[in-house]
Formats: sequence, structure tokens, C-alpha cells
Amino acid sequence: MPRNSSARRKQSLWSKSGPSARLTFGCFVITVVGLFGLTRNDIFGLSFAWPHAALWGAVGWGRVGLSIRPMIALIAFGAIQDVIFHAPFGSFEVINLLTYAASTAIASEFDVTSEPLIAIVASVMLFAGAFLVLWLMASTLEDHAVRVVPLIAAMLTTGMLYALVHKIFDLGRKPGESVGQAT
Amino acid sequence: MARSGRSAQKGVRRSPKRLVLGVLIFGFAALIIAQSAPQIRNVFNPVRASVGDRLGGGEQVGIWARLTGRAAQEARIRDLEAQVRDLSRYKAAAISMAERLEAYEEILNLMGEPPVKGVTARVTSESEGPFAQTLLANAGRSHGVEPGSVAMNEGGLVGRVIQLGERSSRILLVTDFNSRVPVIGEVSGVHAIMQGGSTSSGTLTDLPERSDFIEGERILTSAEGGAFPRGLIVGEVHQSGNDWRVKYAMSEGSSGYVQLIPPPTIDRPISTGDLLPADGSVTASPAQGARR
Repeated sequence: MPRNSSARRKQSLWSKSGPSARLTFGCFVITVVGLFGLTRNDIFGLSFAWPHAALWGAVGWGRVGLSIRPMIALIAFGAIQDVIFHAPFGSFEVINLLTYAASTAIASEFDVTSEPLIAIVASVMLFAGAFLVLWLMASTLEDHAVRVVPLIAAMLTTGMLYALVHKIFDLGRKPGESVGQAT
Repeated sequence: MARSGRSAQKGVRRSPKRLVLGVLIFGFAALIIAQSAPQIRNVFNPVRASVGDRLGGGEQVGIWARLTGRAAQEARIRDLEAQVRDLSRYKAAAISMAERLEAYEEILNLMGEPPVKGVTARVTSESEGPFAQTLLANAGRSHGVEPGSVAMNEGGLVGRVIQLGERSSRILLVTDFNSRVPVIGEVSGVHAIMQGGSTSSGTLTDLPERSDFIEGERILTSAEGGAFPRGLIVGEVHQSGNDWRVKYAMSEGSSGYVQLIPPPTIDRPISTGDLLPADGSVTASPAQGARR
């Protein structure tokens, strides 16, 4: 019993927080990073672009299964991305939702929570797939093959940053699951 | 391998969220396709502009444009427009200067270069001629070619007619060792004599001691001696060690045709006896004329 009580005391605020709080915080992070991408484009001569932060949410939130609120958030971020990127409306919504759907599909087939290798491979594949869809969409809508190098650079930036902040986009438990049921 | 098997367990009861997600993806994809119609795109443009202004991204270059290369194209267009603006200013200045020059020439009663009348002729190389570097042209005296005519091609000065027949003429190229062309630097204004001797470049001799050519400037004929008109392009000057060499401009033209231009001729002054007035009055001496 004393051991259990000490372990309970050591629980961080993040581990105690539920999916709603985590989703809210994840949205906040995406918004802050997005605002950073909006307001400052050049620092020390380096060009900073919106690092597709919404994809972090699509990959991370999808790991616990489908839910309506992440979908709404991803649609909202996609709409903002459309405006910022001067892309046709719907482009980034589709990309975000497809990534979210793929993430949930992988999570339903494989154990991405306790198998680090699968989690890493799945994340890499999801980001690569998202940027492939983006490239295909941009090339189709512009009637010519768009440049790949900037997209690869953006993908690497997004992926590397996700490796650092992926815990922020872990909702903790599946929708509808109570605290005690979480695996 | 690490399959959770949740799909198998949930295979029977499909979540309506999947349907919602599928409908949303399909709906947005349809929206993208629908925007290919200008009428529908025009509906979204004001919304996009308004939201973009509020987000502060309206004046920035869109990343979509960067990704698709449109930003680079637009930047290139802006550069070219700036160049056109600059060139327009130069054009206006050139027109203004040309008008002023015309006015000055009129005021000074300046005799400019006479209009060029030339004959275009086909040329063939001549390997057994008296000179090492000569050409034969299929135009001669009967076609209006004059002795000493200057041969030009698209690049610049080719040579000078040294032998003239009724239907053909022989041109001594500027590349010949015996060729001497008085030249001037277009920018530096330095006078020199260009001597042939090489097929690719000529040597500049008789340079003034205290002035020098500018690397890469154009070399023009100076009309010293009256053999060549002034201002014909001869080539481009480059320094080779202590020597200045001229890369021939005629090498750039290879159509096989030359234009034979009559040499610049200045009529000799009529003898003073012919100028005596009929009434026999005495004319003033040059010095008196100057004083007057």
C-alpha cells in the first residue's frame, strides 16, 4: 500500500489529464506553432515555414481510435492551412483527415502503444504518405509536377519535431474508455 | 506480430464515426474538384482574402506558391518588370540625347558619316592567293564595288578589297599578317594599330605609353588614314601577358556572305585658283580669315 500511494503521488499532471485536456493542449501547441509560422518567416536568414503541425495531431490523435473532436480540430486546422498555403479549399482537410484515418487504421491493426518499432515505422509511413498525397494533389491541381525538395525538407522537419513532441499528441485512452480501462 | 486483433473483435459493430470520416474526406475531395469551376472558385476567393488578411498572411508569399514554383515565376516576372522600367528610362534618355545631338550637329553644321551603300556578295576561301588570308567575293566593279571597299559580315569587320575585277574581288582579311587596321577602344578611347597574324586574335601595336585599354571593351575602327569608316566593330580586347590582343568579331558571323561598303572618301579641296572671283578681287589670307 505505501508503495502504491507513493507511485500515485509521483504521477505527473500530464498523466492524470484526460483526452479532452490533452486534445485541447495539442490544439494549443499546433496553433502556437502555426502562429509562429505565420508571423516570422525569416530568422538569421533561414526561412521558416508552417511545419505542417496539424499532421502531428492527425498522427498522434489517431493512435487511440476514431473520435469526432479530433476530426473537427483537424478540419479547422486544414482550413487555416488552406488559407495560409493559398491552396484550394479542402486540400489540407483531406490530407489531415486521410492521415488521421490511416493512423487509426494502423492503430487498430497493430499495437502502436507498446511496440516502439511499430510506432516509429508507422509514424514515418504516415508522414511520408501525407506528403506524398500533398505532392500528388499539388501536382494535379497545378498541372505540372511540383518541386519535391521543399516537401521533403518540410516532411523531415515535421517528422523530427514530432519525435520530440509526440507525447503531447497522445490522448491517453480511447474515446469512451474510462480511466481504469486505459492500457 | 504485435497485432492487437481489435479489428477482428470490432468487425461486427462498425462505428458510425468511420462513416462520418469517410463522408468528410469524400466531401472535401468533391469541394476541391468543384473549385476547378471558376464560378465556384469565385465564391471562395472573398472568404479566402478576408481570412488571409485577418491572419496576416495576405501579403506574404504563399507556401503553396513556393512549393509549386509559382513564387519563383512571379519573382522572375517582377525582376523583368523592373528591368523593363529601367530600360524605359534608358530609352527615354537615349531618345532625348539623340535629339540633342541632332540639334547640336545642326547648330555646328557638322557633316556626319555618309549613309552606307553596300553590295552583298557571296565569299569563298582562297587557299592559293597571293596573301595567306584572303577571300574571293562574287561581286566586282560591274556590281558597284569600288577599290578599297570594306568587307563586313554579321559580326563585324572582315577585311578590305585589294583587287577588283569586273565580276569578282579579292578581300584581304584582317587576320592576315599584312593587314593593319587603325583602331580605337570604345570606352577608353585609346588609339592603336591592329596587326593580323592569327586566325583568332590580332595584336595591338603602337599604343600610347600612358594610357591603356580596358579589359573586354570593344575595339572599333578609328578611320585614321581614311581606309576604314569610323566605328566599325573589329572585336573585343583582352590582355595576354604584356600584349593586348583583339578577339575578332567577324568570327561570330559565318553565313558566307559579306557586305562590301565603299571606302570613306573625302573630296579633295579645289585649288585656290578655281575659287578666284570672277571680278578679280583679292581674297583674304587664312590668318586674315581667322582674325575676321
